[in-house]
Amino acid sequence: MKRRTFVEVAGGSALGLLGAGLPLIGHGQDRYARYKGQTVVMSIPSHPHYDAMAKLLPEFTRQTGIKVETDRLAMARMKDKQLLEMAKPSGDYDLACYVVMWKGEYVKKNLVRELDPFFKNAALVDPDYDFKDLVPKYVENIGLVGGPKGYLAGPGAKLYGLPYGAETSILAYRRDVFAKLGLKPPETYADLEKLLPMLKEKSGMGALTSRGQAGHQCVHAWLLHLNPLGGKVFDDKWNPRFNDAVGVKALKTLKLISDTGPVGIPGYGQGEMITSFLQGQAAMYLDSSLIFGQVNDPAKSKIGGQVSYALHPKGVRYSSQSGGLGLAIPKNAKNADAAFLLLQWLTSKAQDKAVAKVGGVPTRNSTLTDLEMVKQYPEYITLRQQLEYSDPDWRPIIAEWDEINIQALGVAVSEALTGKKSPEDALNGMVPKVTDIMKRGGYLQA
Amino acid sequence: MRTPRWVPLVYLGPAVVVMAVACLYPLLSALQLGFYDWSMGTPWAEARWVGIDAFVAAFRDAAVWRSLVTTLIFAAVCVVAEMLLGIALALALEGDVRGMAFFRTLFILPMMIAPIAVGLTWRYLFDAQFGLLNALIGLFGAAPVGWLAQEQTAFIAIIIADIWQWTPFVFIMMIAGLANVDSSVLEAARIDGATWWQTTMRVKLPMIMHVIAITLLMRLIDAFRVLEVIYILTFGGPGDSTEILSLHIYKTAFVGQRLGSAAAISVLLLVVVAALSWAALRLSNPLKDDDR
Repeated sequence: MKRRTFVEVAGGSALGLLGAGLPLIGHGQDRYARYKGQTVVMSIPSHPHYDAMAKLLPEFTRQTGIKVETDRLAMARMKDKQLLEMAKPSGDYDLACYVVMWKGEYVKKNLVRELDPFFKNAALVDPDYDFKDLVPKYVENIGLVGGPKGYLAGPGAKLYGLPYGAETSILAYRRDVFAKLGLKPPETYADLEKLLPMLKEKSGMGALTSRGQAGHQCVHAWLLHLNPLGGKVFDDKWNPRFNDAVGVKALKTLKLISDTGPVGIPGYGQGEMITSFLQGQAAMYLDSSLIFGQVNDPAKSKIGGQVSYALHPKGVRYSSQSGGLGLAIPKNAKNADAAFLLLQWLTSKAQDKAVAKVGGVPTRNSTLTDLEMVKQYPEYITLRQQLEYSDPDWRPIIAEWDEINIQALGVAVSEALTGKKSPEDALNGMVPKVTDIMKRGGYLQA
Repeated sequence: MRTPRWVPLVYLGPAVVVMAVACLYPLLSALQLGFYDWSMGTPWAEARWVGIDAFVAAFRDAAVWRSLVTTLIFAAVCVVAEMLLGIALALALEGDVRGMAFFRTLFILPMMIAPIAVGLTWRYLFDAQFGLLNALIGLFGAAPVGWLAQEQTAFIAIIIADIWQWTPFVFIMMIAGLANVDSSVLEAARIDGATWWQTTMRVKLPMIMHVIAITLLMRLIDAFRVLEVIYILTFGGPGDSTEILSLHIYKTAFVGQRLGSAAAISVLLLVVVAALSWAALRLSNPLKDDDR
């Protein structure tokens, strides 16, 4: 069964009983009546999409009588708190936002609930909730756990969360700068490599901004290029292959980006990367589609109205990242049903559109094709095309990944960026450490 | 009437018990954790006994030793600089300086700011594109520098942030010590014709040596525990050039989810800090004067 087909089938099975359940509840608000007065406590990050979501919550309470409290934390601190809360017999969180990388660990530790039983509960489910309308790549990447690889669609994969704050990578470029210099945005990595030094020299600004800080940030940047260039972190048997010729090529490309970009990329987190583009210090941006809502915000951006979008350049294939955030219901949630109702409401067609209107990111195809929305965000046209190439397998979402990402590859890539080691030496040097971690995790024989 | 011998025990007992529990319980828990393989979010019943494996692995792990060396250099540079600056500032502002109250308040402000805020503030100050530091050197025509993007400058950056935050602590301790120096001794030195330098080096500083020793000890211990500022400023990078041991422990525990290994490294850190503290106390012997 093809992956996309499986995602649709998984969604279909989740909603398979909807038809039977429709007459029981109908289209009214009855499903909420039982939970009126309950309070759903949400764990959310400081993040533009969740800032936008917060604007919708009063309407949810008005419509349903269910109150919502949010516990907002910096992304880096959110996981520690969630692990502590969700490991208790009865936790404080009813709905938890998670980074896609955490899904496998949360399921492995039995901390979150499978969503299928909720979607099969006719008393809870919204008959107008069109599951198949959710972008399938987002659902697969963020919601499914199990299957042959553990984190992708396939036999055994189950739905544990829904995408909310999902993203893919996209190329944004300064239309005015490119027009002035008579340049075209790069369509391939060969174009990109030629363009970078030229753009740096002629534009007087950094060519392409990027993340580069040690740890997760620089690895994210490297993987962005590794995937379209044809590489992977592991082979099919979980042996490290990140140090092969493609891995080295991707790291050399990132080094070139760092050397021709705005000053200081090896110290840039996501915030610095975005700011450098929005403040006119770089001519291009190649990262999360989260940038859409910020480019034309005069409070954050000096380049409103001067940005166009293009596909993530092609290497040996078109491929963009797939990641971001999702929402799941903890095993120990006190108000799990009410939490599901909120989750369902937030990810409904109407609210997906509503959150996008106020600066959030869409998760549904209907939002991406809505004429009114496309008029507000013409970049949705490029985003729709890009999503065709979004690869949920662009990085391995296994429980061991955080350690590999931050304590192994995050050091190696950073050392290559600062020039302390050559890309070859940096990547080769981390093979034993990554192999040890994979042996400890049981993926390779000890 | 003579007080029965058990009375002091009644008064001191509860406090001693509370302190013992508060200090010993976490210590023993950490030690116990070091013998298990356990990750957050799983029941303790699932923890696996691994004996001394984590301690042996900590000793053999090159990353632990690299972090320890980084920590020792960081602590040595920061503590020496903070002591020198704090003592110099206290000597400069101990007398009847005009606007003294204002200066004293100003100097202690950094110490009162949360470490996370200190990290964020310095991250912006060191920002390659928009930071104050690059704006200042730009006035002299210099090209912007990626302070947090190079190993040497990033290490200097974390040292500067620590010195900025903790020199005020040394300043306050020294001001308090100097205020208690017997004025008749200083007067005698002045009558004997001692210069300012001689009075400072041979009278004032020796008389507050016990305060200097305690301050040195407290700063040394704190320098080994710094986490938030470095977490925010560099996250241990570039590479692992600013990964001090406390950050390495944090990553092992909360990124790698290996709490047992993190506990084992913590015990190693505790031994190092205890040894250094013992050495510092032996060298300075702050109670020597009182003993006499």
